Amino acid sequence: MNLLPWIIAAWLAAVGIFGIVTSRHVVHLIGCLSVVQSSTYVVLLSVGFRAGAAAPIFYDKPPGTIAVDPVVQALVLTDVVVGAAVTALLLAIALQICRRKNTLDPEALRPLRP
Amino acid sequence: MIALHSLVPLPAVLPIAVAALLLTLAGRLHRRLPDLVAIATAAAVMVIAALLARGSVAAPIAYWFGGWVPHGAQVLGVGFVVDPVGAAVAAFAALLFALTFVFAWGFFADTGTRFHVLALVFLGAIEGFSLTHDLFNLFVWFELMSVAAFALTAYALNISALEGALGFTVVNTLGSFFMLGGTGLIYARVGALDFAALARGVAPAGDDPVVLAAFCLIAMAMLIKGAIVPLHFWLADAHAVAPSPVSVIFSSIMVPLGLFGLARLLFAVFAASPAVQGVAHGMLVDLGALTAVVGGVMCILQRHVKRLLAFSTIAHMGVLVVGIASLSASGIAGSLAYLIGQGLVKGALFMVAGIMLALLGGVDEIRLRGAGRAIWPVGLACAIGGLLLGGAPLGVMDAGASLIDDAQAHHEILRTALAVGTGLTGAAVLRLAGRVFAGLGAHPGVERDGPTEEEREPAQRPLWLMFAPLLVMLGLALVPAHWAARWAAIAAGGFLLASGGTATIPHLPPTADVGAWTSLAIACGFAAFALLRHRAPHGLRAVLETASWPVSGLLLRIHSGIVGDYVAWVVAGLAVLAAGFALR
Amino acid sequence: MSPRLRVVLLAGSFAVLAVPAWRTMQALPRFGHHALPYGDAINAAAPKQRHVTNMVSAVNFDYRGVDTLGEETMLLAAVTGTAVLLRGQREGGERDRLGPPRPHGGRSEAIVLASRIAAPFTFLFGLYVALHAMVTPGGGFQGGLVMATALLWVFLGDGHLAWGRLVRTGWVDACEGMGVAAYAAAGLGTMLAGGAFLQNVLPRGALKSMLSGGLMQVLNAAVALAVVAGFLTLFVEFLKETAGLQGETE
Repeated sequence: MNLLPWIIAAWLAAVGIFGIVTSRHVVHLIGCLSVVQSSTYVVLLSVGFRAGAAAPIFYDKPPGTIAVDPVVQALVLTDVVVGAAVTALLLAIALQICRRKNTLDPEALRPLRP
Repeated sequence: MIALHSLVPLPAVLPIAVAALLLTLAGRLHRRLPDLVAIATAAAVMVIAALLARGSVAAPIAYWFGGWVPHGAQVLGVGFVVDPVGAAVAAFAALLFALTFVFAWGFFADTGTRFHVLALVFLGAIEGFSLTHDLFNLFVWFELMSVAAFALTAYALNISALEGALGFTVVNTLGSFFMLGGTGLIYARVGALDFAALARGVAPAGDDPVVLAAFCLIAMAMLIKGAIVPLHFWLADAHAVAPSPVSVIFSSIMVPLGLFGLARLLFAVFAASPAVQGVAHGMLVDLGALTAVVGGVMCILQRHVKRLLAFSTIAHMGVLVVGIASLSASGIAGSLAYLIGQGLVKGALFMVAGIMLALLGGVDEIRLRGAGRAIWPVGLACAIGGLLLGGAPLGVMDAGASLIDDAQAHHEILRTALAVGTGLTGAAVLRLAGRVFAGLGAHPGVERDGPTEEEREPAQRPLWLMFAPLLVMLGLALVPAHWAARWAAIAAGGFLLASGGTATIPHLPPTADVGAWTSLAIACGFAAFALLRHRAPHGLRAVLETASWPVSGLLLRIHSGIVGDYVAWVVAGLAVLAAGFALR
Repeated sequence: MSPRLRVVLLAGSFAVLAVPAWRTMQALPRFGHHALPYGDAINAAAPKQRHVTNMVSAVNFDYRGVDTLGEETMLLAAVTGTAVLLRGQREGGERDRLGPPRPHGGRSEAIVLASRIAAPFTFLFGLYVALHAMVTPGGGFQGGLVMATALLWVFLGDGHLAWGRLVRTGWVDACEGMGVAAYAAAGLGTMLAGGAFLQNVLPRGALKSMLSGGLMQVLNAAVALAVVAGFLTLFVEFLKETAGLQGETE
């Protein structure tokens, strides 16, 4: 039970990478990359978790209440921005590839090799 | 000293602030103003970083953002700790950007200020990456650098550029996620992100599997960026298709910076882990030798000039990682000089490729045979660059190579591998210079099977404007080797001091050693054979071509260009690294 | 490599990695029961030092404020990059090829009504989330994203033209730049005031007040601006593409 979060994270990374390697469509590949990324969310948030503790918001609970780690939550927020930024760029690239080549099969996309 | 201290955040913040202003004012500026502003910003950053480098020799300069100076062991905020090596890398990056902005004058005008915005953000990220003292902050700058680079790669919007950018983005982003996962793991063990605090936490848990897994994952991001075999596949595709000014930045600073990040981690965070140090001495050094040889051979097999230079960068990254993984003062001094020397020479050569694209209308070495006779000074610069890459015993790059060679003096096979790899890259560039600018080499060899493409870049700027920055870079690369070596040695002493060690200044080896002459002989020999192939005895030619075909055919097939292959190789690389720890 | 060979390489690598991965998992501290020194130090210090009750905001905008500068700049780079990558067909001579915008007639009145009701409320909610960054869960990033989504309702309900009247690309770009510039300027301003970069030199306010946190308020507003503008640009750029594609097929 204690290993469950780590197993889930490893599983997400592995299936995401498997999806990227076997993908036959660039948009599917981008989705798989997001799956790999979600494993980093799981790792970071699990690392900062504390059993039975409150959220790190001391509005309705007095400061000093036992709470989980706010630092990893802030890191995950940055992680989310990374995901959004990279996904936007990749989708833009995919869109332009589709325009020019009329295919989004990664097997057919080989730079400088017609 | 107070004044110097308050300059520390500026190299990272200034370019970002200027980029944000350029985006805000886009369309309301004179057509040429963005170019001028960008050059001025990069020059200002260079001056600040150079001042910081000089001021941090005696003692590192610590700066705490938000004023969160740590009290006791608990670090609350994020710090930059300036050491001479980091600041020298930062200053070199800014110099390179300034020269690239001059080289690219007006090149990117069709997207308004957007190129300048991306390039300045790129510069700010490099500066932050070089100076930071916090693991997650390192990741933020690393990723910021990547995001700007992804967009710049695809700038040309032709199909190859888009395909190259796709592979680059997917592979490097995967590396970033590995790094985040590794950051999470080491945070679980140590509960800190500041380098010094992490090092304190690693010390009692040196060979703990969690620490080792964290190192593997974080190092993967750096090794992918640093294009170490088998994680190098993305580089050749991305550099070959990016606009030439962008390729200058990529090969000269972005890729080596990945390995600088690795050096930071090895010295500032994982110095107390015997397992990590052992794997660095063993596996990383071996991978470096393999990288040098694979890069050199692939380089010889190319006809597309930017792709050829990209593979030469891979070979030189092999040398650089050997210097870093030596984990010694002379290894670090050599790596610093090699990073700067390689960057200057490679940047100049990518500018040659840019001039070819603009004036000769292509970068295919075989198709352009003799086309460059009219611009022979460019060819001369190209040949000098080739000699320097091939190990000619003069200049900054040679200072670095001799120091690295000295750090591995006992390891003969390794030294041979490095000499062969660098020699082959020199041979390829000399062959290119002889063929395009002197019309030699009418009968191409194995390189005729390399991938290529018709391509050109707008010729809207005069030759002298492109040639001047090139000459400046070559001129700086020819700074006498003993000055460069002495100066790098002093900087390395400061780097060790800032990493929590003692300031040992390495002794300087004699330059012009045997290794340099070996690789120079390989470079000149192979180039002469390639250019004068038709005069060689028929039997010799037949034997050489039959012998080389299995190797070259296999290598060309492995470099397939398919994203799925590259990602599978990344995982294989991670497995190799992990196995290196298991079998230690 | 053939796809089959590639899967074999991947499977072999996974098999090799399984052993160290398993050992790492077993060596990790027990889930939910281990020391969190950094987080505990922030939880203990921030309410006293910064008069805020949302610890995540305290980390983002104060203790690790420089990370957030990089994060906003990353958004700026992504938005600028996307604009560069998608410019091809639209700027220059190919604009005419796109055809007319999608006609408005295809929507049912229910969708138009629902969108018009939802848009202002969504926007208001986003503003609420952004403004209460210092006290309750939320902040400029989350609130900014909700506000940008509100403008998507306009697109859904009233289509391309109404959206175009409301959201001017030049202005949005300028807002994106201004958001990041304001963040950097806040840091440089605190340096001029004699502090470190991003040192919180403003009065902190009262605990549990919406306006507590001092400089963090400025940074939060800058982030909100950059995020609204950033995600609007992304929406606009991609929606223009769909308009173009439909224009071609109709």
